Amino acid sequence: MVQNAWELVDAFFDEYNLVDHHIKSYNDFVDHRIQDIIDIAEPIVLEQGEYSIKTGNLSIKNPFIKEADGSKSDIYPTQARLRNLTYSAHMYLEMSLIKGGEEQEMENVYIGEMPVMLKSKICHLNGLNEAELEADGEDPQDPGGYFIVNGSERAIVTMEEIAPNKIILERIGEKEDRRARAIVTSIKSGFRARINLEYRKPRKKGVFLRISFPYVPGEIPLVVLLRALGLETDKDLVNSISEENDIQFLLIDDIQTSEITNNYDAIKYIGNRVAKGMTEEYRIKRAEDVIDRYLLPHIGVEPDKRTEKATYLAEMAEMLLQVIFDKREPHDKDHYANKRLRVSGDLMEDLFRVAFTSLTRDMTYQLERSLTRGKEPSVKQAVRSDVLTENIKHAIATGNWVGGRAGVSQLLDRTSYMGTLSHLKRVVSPLSRSQPHFEARDLHPTQFGKICPNETPEGPNCGLVKNLAILAKISEGSDSKELEDVIKKMKIVNPI
Amino acid sequence: MQGILKKISQINFGLLSPENIRKMSVTKIVTPDTYDEDGYPIEAGLMDPRLGVIDPGLRCRSCGSKGGDCQGHFGHINLARPVIHVGFADTIHKILRSTCSNCGRVLLTESEIAEYKEKIGTKHQNEESINDIVKEIYTVARRDKCPHCDEDKEEIKIDKPVSIVEGNYKLTSSEVRERLEKVNEDDYILMGINPDVAKPEWMVLTVLPVPPVTVRPSITLETGERSEDDLTHKLVDILRINQRLKENMEAGAPQLIVEDLWELLQYHVTTYFDNEASGVPPARHRSGRPLKTLAQRLKGKEGRFRSNLSGKRVNFSARTVISPDPNISINEVGVPEMIAKEVTVPVYVTDWNMEDMKEHIENGPEIHPGANYVIRPDERKIRVYDETKESILEKLEPGYVVERHLMDGDIVLFNRQPSLHRMSMMAHEVKVLPYKTFRLNLCVCPPYNADFDGDEMNMHVFQTEESRAEAKSLMRVQEHILSPRFGGPIIGGIHDHISGAYLLTREGSEFEEDYVYQMIKKSNLPFPEPKNKPWTGKEVFSLLLPDDLNMVYRAEICRKCDECLRQECKNDAYVVIEDGQLISGAIDEKAFGAFSGKILDSIVKDYGTDKAREFLDSATKLAISGIMKRGFTTSTADEEIPQEAKERIEELLNMAEKRVEQLIEAYHNDELEALPGRSLRETLEMKIMQVLGESRDKSGEIAESYFGMDNHAVIMALTGARGSMLNLTQIAACVGQQSVRGGRIERGYSKRTLPHFKEGELGAKASGFVHSSYKEGLDPLEFFFHAMGGREGLVDTAIRTAQSGYMQRRLVNALQDLSVQTDGTVRDNRGIIIQSKYGEDGVDPAKSDYGKVADIDRMIEEMRIKSKAK
Repeated sequence: MVQNAWELVDAFFDEYNLVDHHIKSYNDFVDHRIQDIIDIAEPIVLEQGEYSIKTGNLSIKNPFIKEADGSKSDIYPTQARLRNLTYSAHMYLEMSLIKGGEEQEMENVYIGEMPVMLKSKICHLNGLNEAELEADGEDPQDPGGYFIVNGSERAIVTMEEIAPNKIILERIGEKEDRRARAIVTSIKSGFRARINLEYRKPRKKGVFLRISFPYVPGEIPLVVLLRALGLETDKDLVNSISEENDIQFLLIDDIQTSEITNNYDAIKYIGNRVAKGMTEEYRIKRAEDVIDRYLLPHIGVEPDKRTEKATYLAEMAEMLLQVIFDKREPHDKDHYANKRLRVSGDLMEDLFRVAFTSLTRDMTYQLERSLTRGKEPSVKQAVRSDVLTENIKHAIATGNWVGGRAGVSQLLDRTSYMGTLSHLKRVVSPLSRSQPHFEARDLHPTQFGKICPNETPEGPNCGLVKNLAILAKISEGSDSKELEDVIKKMKIVNPI
Repeated sequence: MQGILKKISQINFGLLSPENIRKMSVTKIVTPDTYDEDGYPIEAGLMDPRLGVIDPGLRCRSCGSKGGDCQGHFGHINLARPVIHVGFADTIHKILRSTCSNCGRVLLTESEIAEYKEKIGTKHQNEESINDIVKEIYTVARRDKCPHCDEDKEEIKIDKPVSIVEGNYKLTSSEVRERLEKVNEDDYILMGINPDVAKPEWMVLTVLPVPPVTVRPSITLETGERSEDDLTHKLVDILRINQRLKENMEAGAPQLIVEDLWELLQYHVTTYFDNEASGVPPARHRSGRPLKTLAQRLKGKEGRFRSNLSGKRVNFSARTVISPDPNISINEVGVPEMIAKEVTVPVYVTDWNMEDMKEHIENGPEIHPGANYVIRPDERKIRVYDETKESILEKLEPGYVVERHLMDGDIVLFNRQPSLHRMSMMAHEVKVLPYKTFRLNLCVCPPYNADFDGDEMNMHVFQTEESRAEAKSLMRVQEHILSPRFGGPIIGGIHDHISGAYLLTREGSEFEEDYVYQMIKKSNLPFPEPKNKPWTGKEVFSLLLPDDLNMVYRAEICRKCDECLRQECKNDAYVVIEDGQLISGAIDEKAFGAFSGKILDSIVKDYGTDKAREFLDSATKLAISGIMKRGFTTSTADEEIPQEAKERIEELLNMAEKRVEQLIEAYHNDELEALPGRSLRETLEMKIMQVLGESRDKSGEIAESYFGMDNHAVIMALTGARGSMLNLTQIAACVGQQSVRGGRIERGYSKRTLPHFKEGELGAKASGFVHSSYKEGLDPLEFFFHAMGGREGLVDTAIRTAQSGYMQRRLVNALQDLSVQTDGTVRDNRGIIIQSKYGEDGVDPAKSDYGKVADIDRMIEEMRIKSKAK
């Protein structure tokens, strides 16, 4: 049996590269995610809608370089390393100016450069055989999966995070304290909204179940939020959460404590929080806006998703109360099912989103300027490609990512071949290394087969910096809409 | 020597009054600029020449001293409006809260005042802290009504960092100052203010002292550009706003603008003192770097206190990698010639050493016993060069000081960080050796906690005779053989010294006389009379022992039999020394090992440290000779056990696992009886742990029974040289239960550790029992559980070192001034008694017998032997 197993391992490596997770993720980023970001970006509108810009398809050319004498030539990684250049591809975006509702022809505009991951789809080395690689000055054994920025090799380390869009239940203190919280980190196109539902004995008077979410200062009672989401009657409210008696009694307490009985009052209550001291009209509008956009955005940001959100929150509350009543075990935060790995493609996505926003902002500014000068606006002139290029390049070159995270990209370890491989398989946890976090540092049984049990640094980073197992693969995730359609087609569940 | 020596008898802490600030100031600063176009400092500017000089050569306009000698002079800024000092904001708030805004009395009744004053008076008399009383007063004096004038008291809150709010009205700094002025002077002491040195209104600044330029020197960059210190930048800001505020006020600007500027002035003064105050955005440099202002200079690890006052960089020190040298004495340290030529010892030239010193100078800085500098009686330092040699030699006379190279026999301080106890810094004698590492005797590894995997150590050379003498008598290695930690030796034989001594002295070891003489010669022992027949190892070892040494003890190899056969012990573990002759028993860790060497301990206590050093130097060399004669090696072959043993172990483990299954079944059938104070589940866990633990121990015993004393791994484990029987058990028989945080492994998938098991499985294997031995190899699941247990250990060591370092620091800070006085009391620096008798028993653990005053049993036994011998 032991001998045969090695053949399986060989077969695995016939199919997959050691750094497949990086390359696949980057390919996915290049193929779909860039286009998605561009498509959902807010369009540029000038002069109260007189002018606007429409974007079309993005195209990426394989890496080439414009020399000082104006000649263009393909650039290969070795050349980039030796000449301290950036191995990056030029991106072109179809754009057209709409003037007074009249659309002009699409232009293909150069918007900037994107650093290219070695051996990815848009890399010259993609699919080359050993002899060809050698001819291009590459080590045929080199796994790729990193970038070359200003001649230095930068690897993007994989980030571990707590699973987003998933309810995580945890107990606060001991079982006897009867305190618990449910947390969801809801992510919608880069925007992270952390929802925190807590069950806690109020200090003087007040409700037990309180919830906090972005843009609302402090905590608000869950029952009020559910009312604001459309669960108006007490009966609806209680039944939607649970059918169990003891849980319902708890809710009734909360309902009686909070004096709000209808939808309008509830929205007004939230409005008083988010826009204190404004006109009532504005307060209501603002409250509805906040609920739609910042509460559980992964479900949707449209007003008609409120019922769905209410159901989700009700479910969440039931789970939380079950923990309180000891009918359900809280989640194990270190369980690898509750973790997600953000690979280079995901991190590049964050970066590109911010860089692209700053490009559109700059374009707006440039267009406005040419308008005030009385010139006819032109898309080609408005695009300053350096904005996008420099934004992305700077982040990869320094490791200072958007959102203030440092050390995301690191100088690729070339002390040995194994060092390089290990570096490309590295996974870091965002937990601070100064605190003990004993449990998070332990080797968790769910890491079996996924994370190497042996390789972790000694010292303050012990157990927080991990390495992928040799045979581990990371899936890219798929479109949730597609999945939903399949499930619906199978008629397994009834839509709510 | 210039300057006047003064002895500080007292340091008083108080507040600077505005008058004081003005009095000590040499100039008023008004201009926010520093230098004019020509690069000259502007008068009444922040770089006013009267504030002192930095450039050497120039003379100070205030005191006339040269640059470097002038320590600088303060200036002052008259603030247009008063400003609260951040450091005192809390105190101001407390004072205002506890005093009446109308009559200025503290909110205590007359009787309370009298009572507290008396309490404070007694505390003063006893030189005790009044902090507790003041704290109490601050809580008591929170009344709604003034007991003196019946004025209603409104609540006063502090809005961090410096705003004082009364009710809903924010008091201006002027109002705060007015109120503080109103506070009755008689009540000061009740609020912890000493009226002799401070008045509360001085906590609101009207005048700001400007530190001398020596405190904030500007640096000239290579480009010729001047770059100012952060403090200067901040002072410029203050001056600018102050100026604008003054102008606006004079021009009668609207109240709103004045208040805004006032706020701004407050901000600048606040950040000038502390740029990390909570609630204030830090003032930044143009580059976005936060400014380093007064508080930042003092605070934290890189601050003045921890970095410059508690810790300093020194000259005459060296650092390099360490390596072992068994041939030097424990008192010595091998110093590379390169270092010896760099660090020097100052020697006063006298008539008697004149020739010697001349030779050193002749050798110059390049040839080893040479000299680098000569200091003339007028304190001029002259470097010794080939060119200057001649003239120095000519002029050399008594009174000169020659800084000569480090030589054999010099006393130096040797240290390895972390310096956790006093044995981390000991005085060694120098032995100048070739190559580039410090060499040290292996016996001093335990006190330094050193090994040779790349460790580096520091060496410091004493520069005065007094320090040398003190170090030689107090800090020499031989004075530290006994640890004050447990009253036993901390310096002693390690590893091969122990196995060597065992091989030398165990029953049946015999050596030809010629080899014995070789060993004796190597160990620097006096030659004994020839015997003309082979020597036993015990006879050889006896040569080391003092002639009148008598002792009995059980060696490390003692198996703790139920009935001790004493001298007839089959393990040769009953050591008897009669009049310096090793009669029975083998020598092992208990004899002269670090931490537990009994013979070594006796020698230090009864014969003094010189003898002990000689004993240790010789004993280790003898042991090495003993091990070299025989040869010593180990490999996994040492842990080989016959098939029969493997089968027995297998059977035993299977039995244990079956037993565990039974326990689990009993648990499921509710037949298990809970232990007192434990739940059923806990009982099960405990029982399983117990069964599995026992089975591992038993399997170890089986493996052990096949090992003999001819097995090197076993010799090492049993004599205490290295490793333990548990290590051998794990290699040969069974690794045993892996644990995370004290229990079996439970975490993982829901209801099971790994998907390889059934849900709810509680068996031995599913919870991390490793059935295999290291030698056999672990299966993947066992390997993973083993990695889990191993990870816990790694995390623990990583976290523990950081935590214990911090704990040590706090402990040292708290206890640093305590000392034992001649009367046996422990007192702090004020002379206050901490313990009326040191350790409550007055025992110095270093001189005690493992913590006790004396071991009576041992003494009786020794006397018995002594009398028997006679």
